[in-house]
Amino acid sequence: MIRKRKRKQLAYEQPKTKNEVHFPLESEQTKQAIQEQLQNESSLIFKEVNVQDQTIVVCYISYLIEQTQVDSNLLAPLIDSKEKWTTTRLETNLPIGNGQQYDTIEQVCSQLIKGSVVVYIENEKSAITYSISKNERRSVEKPERESIVVGPQSAFSESLETNLNVVRSRVQSNELVTESFNIGARLPTEVRLVYLKSLANDEDVQTMRQRLNNLKIDDLEDASVLVQYIEDTNKTVFPLFYLTELVDRFSYGVSKGKIGVLVDGSPEAIVAPTTFWGFFESTEDVYFRWSVATFFRMLRFAAMFISFVLTPVYVAVVTYHYEVIPTNLLVTLGESRSQVPFPPILEVLFLELIIELLREAGARLPTKVGQTIGIVGGIVLGQAAVDAGLTSSVLIIVIAMSALASFTAPSYLMGSAVRVIRYPLILLAGLIGLVGVTFGICLLIIHLLKLKSLGRPYFLPVYPFIFKDLDNSLFRLPFSISNRRSIALNTKDPIRYQERKSKKPKDIEDWGE
Amino acid sequence: MNVNVKVKHGSRIQSFYLFFILVNIQTGTGIIGAPRYIYEQAKQDGWLSVIIAGLFVHFVVFMMFLTLKQYENTDIFGIQQDLFGKLIGKLLGTIFIIYIFASLLSVLINYIQIVQYFIHPILSPWLLSFLLLILVVYSVLGGIRVIVGVAFVFFVSTLYILFFLYHPLLEMDLHRFQPFFEASPMELMEGARATSYSLLGLEVVLFIYPFIDDKKKAQLPSQLGVAITALFLLLVTIISIGFMGRERLADSYWPILIFYKFISYEIIERFDLIVVTAWMMVVLPVMILLTWMMTYGMKRMYNIRQKKTLFIICFLLFIGGGLMKEQVMITNYTSYVGQIGFWLTFIYPIILYPLVRIKKALKKEGKN
Repeated sequence: MIRKRKRKQLAYEQPKTKNEVHFPLESEQTKQAIQEQLQNESSLIFKEVNVQDQTIVVCYISYLIEQTQVDSNLLAPLIDSKEKWTTTRLETNLPIGNGQQYDTIEQVCSQLIKGSVVVYIENEKSAITYSISKNERRSVEKPERESIVVGPQSAFSESLETNLNVVRSRVQSNELVTESFNIGARLPTEVRLVYLKSLANDEDVQTMRQRLNNLKIDDLEDASVLVQYIEDTNKTVFPLFYLTELVDRFSYGVSKGKIGVLVDGSPEAIVAPTTFWGFFESTEDVYFRWSVATFFRMLRFAAMFISFVLTPVYVAVVTYHYEVIPTNLLVTLGESRSQVPFPPILEVLFLELIIELLREAGARLPTKVGQTIGIVGGIVLGQAAVDAGLTSSVLIIVIAMSALASFTAPSYLMGSAVRVIRYPLILLAGLIGLVGVTFGICLLIIHLLKLKSLGRPYFLPVYPFIFKDLDNSLFRLPFSISNRRSIALNTKDPIRYQERKSKKPKDIEDWGE
Repeated sequence: MNVNVKVKHGSRIQSFYLFFILVNIQTGTGIIGAPRYIYEQAKQDGWLSVIIAGLFVHFVVFMMFLTLKQYENTDIFGIQQDLFGKLIGKLLGTIFIIYIFASLLSVLINYIQIVQYFIHPILSPWLLSFLLLILVVYSVLGGIRVIVGVAFVFFVSTLYILFFLYHPLLEMDLHRFQPFFEASPMELMEGARATSYSLLGLEVVLFIYPFIDDKKKAQLPSQLGVAITALFLLLVTIISIGFMGRERLADSYWPILIFYKFISYEIIERFDLIVVTAWMMVVLPVMILLTWMMTYGMKRMYNIRQKKTLFIICFLLFIGGGLMKEQVMITNYTSYVGQIGFWLTFIYPIILYPLVRIKKALKKEGKN
């Protein structure tokens, strides 16, 4: 709390560099001062009410305000009053909550642009603002980028308040902390640090807090931009913090002792720290039975491996190491490649380029057209390319498979990273064959070993090796066994619930007692 | 230079990683060629030699830990300075580092040669050593934790190679081991000594010891690591003798790769190619660990920045790796390294222990 207050003071102290306008003021002066401060905003409504020989100024920006509320809850009681108004009476006797007093025009204006109504009694020492903003924002909708089949289907929206609302409703605990930060000197954006006080590791929270506090930037566009500012390093293709639009994914992370960050105006939330394996984990894995979930998770790991190894290996083998392919397969391959005039690497790059173009076009076009593009690209182009003798049909299968595999990553950022990595690997394969591919994979593993997310190793729990953490990262065990939170996270309470232990081992037939 | 080393908490490692470090650094490239040299000395009783060598190595590790336990938190450089004084200590340390450089170079050129022989006869050794050294520099820059991580992850991810040994194992001809116990004790000992190149690398314990977090538990993983390496070597020797026999074993430089050559499946015809490429992941941790040992040693003795040593070493290795191409030259060089290593890694630590005890006793007497 103390920290919070300090920050607030800091924020208000900033405008002091200009010359501030303090109350008390005449109504006409107030009007001028506000208009000057807001650069003559033409939708600024300025209303003077004369009650009991007092002049009360009501001021707001019409498009930011719920007009009916102003009329019925503010103006009506104001005019109907039989007594004289004072600032304190305004605060207590009007049927609107959240009234706040401010002393300067600057402060008042900063509230005005957030959707507040200012009420000021002439010649009083301070003005009162009521927040009755109109939220022209989309509601909580189904997730589109991270779609899941089983589980809660709500996604974050652009409004911080809505997002906090849905998070609160999923994590109903008075231990949920939502620390507020204002980031951006010119265009401040509100950022909330969300964690469970009784669980989250203090050091991690402190690290995150410090990174947010130390961030000196002009403006903040989105959560994904914030991630790029506060990540441990930007010399990598891999995402180091998890960006999600799923409310349940966010609250799941927070309830496991991770730290979340919400950014105003961004439909995505940040979860940190993460590990490399965490990016292949979907919340569905929790909702499915453990056996099914484990299978799917393994499938995703395999898919990722296939995605960046399959095409390079194809290039390497077809270019340099025919002898690895058994004779029967070699005949098939040779037949399909006999028409192709290019070396394998050109052939592969050509097809990969087509796939990337299709994907990019599909993402940019409206949904309905996008589907058509998929069909045209996938079926027609592919078939035509083979018929025209530009590529071999075996290669089409290989490329399609690795493209498909890259889409299985639950995190779009990770899927993109894997797709990008493939190209250097293909080039290496084309230049020096399998040795090049192995070189690439070694480099990748060493790189992953060096990465850190919020100061914690990215490759956890494989290295540093924590046996008990393998559950819930590489695979999932039934809930009767997996009753711990990740040890690597160093949460304050590592045990989620006590293990149930049966008193007596069961026999085949037990007598009732 | 202080005898004892202060290592900050952030760069300490848990003791069980010693297992992976030792298995990795010992296996290296030596194991690929070892069965042939063992067979040359002890013939079909070569497996007995491996067992003898394995037991001896256990003893060496035991002695190393006995020596290290006499100090608070030290390494080979600290011990040498304490025993022989600054000048001779530094001299011995420098010899050690030169020897490590030599063995590192031998690993590099052996691997390059294997790649050239099995995969790319025309691939430039300059290119290959350049690629390997990029990886070495990149991971050594990450510090001890990353290095140990590489050793650990690469070991686990290459274990599958071992699995495919079942194929030649099933096709062994047991008659090739007969007659049993024909070799004389002298021949057996010579055979055991022939394993030395493939069991080298133990000295890493003397370097990495200050970095271990729970030192009391360090002995067990090290002994296990040594045991596993010896078992690998034993397995490979037995298969080589049983599967290949005298005629074929005598004229193949890399018996292991030869019998991987005979493995084929419906989707992979030549398995040895896969093994040779995957062997990069076995060789790399060795190179990385040895390079780190050198940079650490130079910093410890002469206070030279580790980055500086790293780049100089890699430049020298690059030149060495590019220039040494002749088969005979490489074989001779490797056997020299093996011989020097035998004295430095296996005999020297055993001598060290009584010296440390004597020194301690003398100190006590001096005080009294």
